[in-house]
Amino acid sequence: MNISSVYLKSFITRSCGQRISACLFTTDVKENIEIPKRIHRGPTDILRALESTVKRDYTAAHYKYHDDPYLIPMSNLGKRTFAMAQEAGRKAAYWVRQENADLFQHQEADPMIKSFAPKIMYNESSEVTIQDLNEVIEKSYVFDAVTIYKLLKSKNVDVPAVAMQQLLELLCFYNHEEPLLEDFIEERWFKQSFKGKERQRKTWKDGDLAEEIFISFDNPNEEAYSAIIQGMAKYGQVDRSWQLFEEALSKNLLLSVDAYNSIIGVANFLKEAYDLRWTFVLDMLSMMAQAKVKPNLRTLNNVLKTLSTMGTSKIVKENALKTLAEFRAMNIEPSLASWYYILITFCKERGPVSPILKNIMNELEGKDLQIKDEKDTFFFVTAMDICHHHLHDLELANRVNNLLNLHNNYDLIGDSYKESIYYRHYITLLCKTETLEEFMQNTYLKLVPHIYVPEPSVMLEILKCVEANDAVEYIPRLWSDVIIFDHVNRENLINLVLNILVSSENAESATLAERFSTIAWDIWNKIENQNENKINKISFTGEMLGKIMTLLLKNDDFEKACIVMDKLQNDQTTVLGVSSFEALELFVNHCVKEKLPSKAISCIQYAVDSGFEDAANLAVTLNTSLTLDETHLSKLSVIVGPDVFK
Amino acid sequence: MLNINLLRALRLKPTKLIKAAPLCTKKGKTSSESSSSSSSDDERALNKTNLKKRSEEAREKLNLLLTKMVQEDSSKEKSSLKFAKAKDHRKRDVRKEAGTESVKSEPIDKGVVKAVQDVAESLGGDVKQTESELLQKLLNPVKEEASSTLSLNDLFKGMQIDREVKKVDTSRAEQVRQALQNVQPKAAQSHRVTKKRKPHQLESVPIDEQVNLHIEQRLEIFNPEEVCTWPDSSMNSTWHALHQRELQLSVTHPPSNYFQQMILWTNQGKIWKFPIDNEQDLDEEKKVYFTEHIFLDKHLEGWCPSKGPLRHFMELVCVGLSKNPYLTVQMKKEHIEWFRDYFKEKKQLLSEVGAFPAGFDIDQGVQKVVESNEKSN
Repeated sequence: MNISSVYLKSFITRSCGQRISACLFTTDVKENIEIPKRIHRGPTDILRALESTVKRDYTAAHYKYHDDPYLIPMSNLGKRTFAMAQEAGRKAAYWVRQENADLFQHQEADPMIKSFAPKIMYNESSEVTIQDLNEVIEKSYVFDAVTIYKLLKSKNVDVPAVAMQQLLELLCFYNHEEPLLEDFIEERWFKQSFKGKERQRKTWKDGDLAEEIFISFDNPNEEAYSAIIQGMAKYGQVDRSWQLFEEALSKNLLLSVDAYNSIIGVANFLKEAYDLRWTFVLDMLSMMAQAKVKPNLRTLNNVLKTLSTMGTSKIVKENALKTLAEFRAMNIEPSLASWYYILITFCKERGPVSPILKNIMNELEGKDLQIKDEKDTFFFVTAMDICHHHLHDLELANRVNNLLNLHNNYDLIGDSYKESIYYRHYITLLCKTETLEEFMQNTYLKLVPHIYVPEPSVMLEILKCVEANDAVEYIPRLWSDVIIFDHVNRENLINLVLNILVSSENAESATLAERFSTIAWDIWNKIENQNENKINKISFTGEMLGKIMTLLLKNDDFEKACIVMDKLQNDQTTVLGVSSFEALELFVNHCVKEKLPSKAISCIQYAVDSGFEDAANLAVTLNTSLTLDETHLSKLSVIVGPDVFK
Repeated sequence: MLNINLLRALRLKPTKLIKAAPLCTKKGKTSSESSSSSSSDDERALNKTNLKKRSEEAREKLNLLLTKMVQEDSSKEKSSLKFAKAKDHRKRDVRKEAGTESVKSEPIDKGVVKAVQDVAESLGGDVKQTESELLQKLLNPVKEEASSTLSLNDLFKGMQIDREVKKVDTSRAEQVRQALQNVQPKAAQSHRVTKKRKPHQLESVPIDEQVNLHIEQRLEIFNPEEVCTWPDSSMNSTWHALHQRELQLSVTHPPSNYFQQMILWTNQGKIWKFPIDNEQDLDEEKKVYFTEHIFLDKHLEGWCPSKGPLRHFMELVCVGLSKNPYLTVQMKKEHIEWFRDYFKEKKQLLSEVGAFPAGFDIDQGVQKVVESNEKSN
């Protein structure tokens, strides 16, 4: 009886795994089972969890490329072309779907998936309602919204004020231009960010529909004023936005914080002198305080942006820090964009060196960053630029890089253009500060070519490093990369490679000599077989040819060397400069070895033509090491003069 | 002061040329110093040792010549601007050279030769040798031959002694070293790899002191306590939505694995949401409880006889309908109503064959049902 009750208890508590044995001997175990609350999961949470287990494979091409050796792009141009080709296919599919909507009748999904449906087309004869207008505004189809609005007007339908306001905001935000569709991610990724430059000049469409709508309001309210002020300030119509701003103030309207932000952001266009500009910004802030407009992050960023355009003086920096303190007191934490402006304020090209990036990194390290401002994406590229050009600080650069690779922070890299500039700075800095071996093992072999393809200038830096260390063992790999990355048309790279190979002291081993000779012959072929119509063709220089010849001869490729020699002799008009004397000497020595006096004589002829004083010595060497016949001797004496052999 | 002037003037040309000519660094030198360092240090020491012997007068003359040379230098740069190639846009570490404006290769003209000649003469000693050495450095830093290494070593020693005597020169020596690190970082560094680079020590330009990002001082415009009580702006909601959309798009990059792609498609509403719910997006149907679909007998009450073949038939219809997933509740109701009306029309025939129980009047029943429906509506 007793035993069975103990057994029963143990049976009840069996669920608590390891305790079973203990429970066998205790009778009074009280288990407090707490059922956890249900955690609500979003539709992508499971996917995110799975995704976090996948790490970047540095040896594989990006996911978007086909996993096929033939279709994996290696050069920057290739990467862009392949991705854009894919995007073009996507666009073609869109077009077919749009043009032949009636052909796609089958309905797989119920209810229908809206993003697969063709876009509704609107033209002059469409029957439209207010409902349609609201829908296209929500989807931000600018052109359709304009069409529908005009149709409604022509039919004398009264558009409600709310819809008018929404349309005004849409038009102001995009400046009457259709934004790129959400689906074209590749295009957005590869689109060069000209935006920054474009902002400089006025792109606002004067007198277009936005202004018409604004005028059509009998008594525009503060919302309408705010929208149009923001739009004008965003697209460079600074003067009129300021004018409207004053107009709104004179009407005692309470403008939105974003309208104030926009005006602060364009202060550098409104006020020329630095001190006036700063007073203006302070005035704006005081006005906000008076009007009880709650400032936000964008206010902070726009104040800092204006400060960053105000030169290098110390007061500017102080003011920037004070601004940070002011906003921090209001619980507005700076975003990456704020730090970006702080960086460009403190680290000017001509100004004093400032270690402020270190402080900023102390703030940011380990954080999971989110985008809060459109300029946030400028931070990482600028920070790396400063690590490289401003501070030359390897440790700091690594800290920045670690932050970038933490959590999902890599999303903030911006676009492909910024990414490649980021890596250009990072790689160049590493190449300059780390030992070559470390650099090649830890960085080059890891990041190149799938994460980053070095531009010619970066390649040049790396090659210079190799040259300085006489680390010729890396040359075969680097040269094949140069070919793969399409840099073969860079004369400075070719010259440097040849230089390194010729002057290397480690090249004595047979295997290296053979590989070098292959590279030299490769270079010869690349230059010799250039497309006739190519622009920026590379032409041989005498020095180049001499080096190629030297490398070939070091590997005893006499026949190929002869071809190079012929080029030197026959194309003296197209080949700039002359080969070095050492190369010619080597050639003559090999001629002796091969017992080919006629080749040697023509080489000596070339040496004399090129004005080498020691050419006569060559002739003497030739004469002593080979028994020459009459014709050869007479030729030689014609070339170097009869006195030499006496 | 004089020393520094002289050094600056002499340093200008060689470093420039070295930077401009990509192939100028000398190879085969495993020793830690590089040719570029020796080239500038070389002259420094050479000039210094000679200078000590010179009279005040000669120094002044030299100084004058050197300033001329610098001026000539800058004018040359202007004229050579048109030759600048695109690659020159790349930023170099220009800032580290105190007096240098930009890094460019320039043709060496007679002015330079003349200047060198003057320098050599004013230095005295072996005028020819000094001149040729200087010229060799200026014109042809690439082809520096081994012949110069002997004297170079001596001079190097001389420089070190000099540095010990004059503490002022330390920073300049650092500069030289740093300048050549740009040209050949590895060679110069190999013997002090362990040494951490402290950038602010190497910079020649003024350095800002440490910055405190958390200063107490504020602009004193807003009152933080008050601001917290102000309402958030709710204006321009469309603008805000668009702004958020653009922000989100600016961090949406090409997916880098299949899961990311699925996340993207999920957010765009193109695929099932996890966990899978086969009633996803059927929002209209969600409003109807499942019993409405299944228990349809209530729609028979009132008009349908409680027993008999008609009842039997209608119950079968209800079972069939309750299992049909393709019809909405409204459609099922209409289906039943169709039968109701049909039987109402055929009541004559139905009562003749005895399908209705005794005393049953379908008209009344239908009437009641319709009335009660209207009431409830």
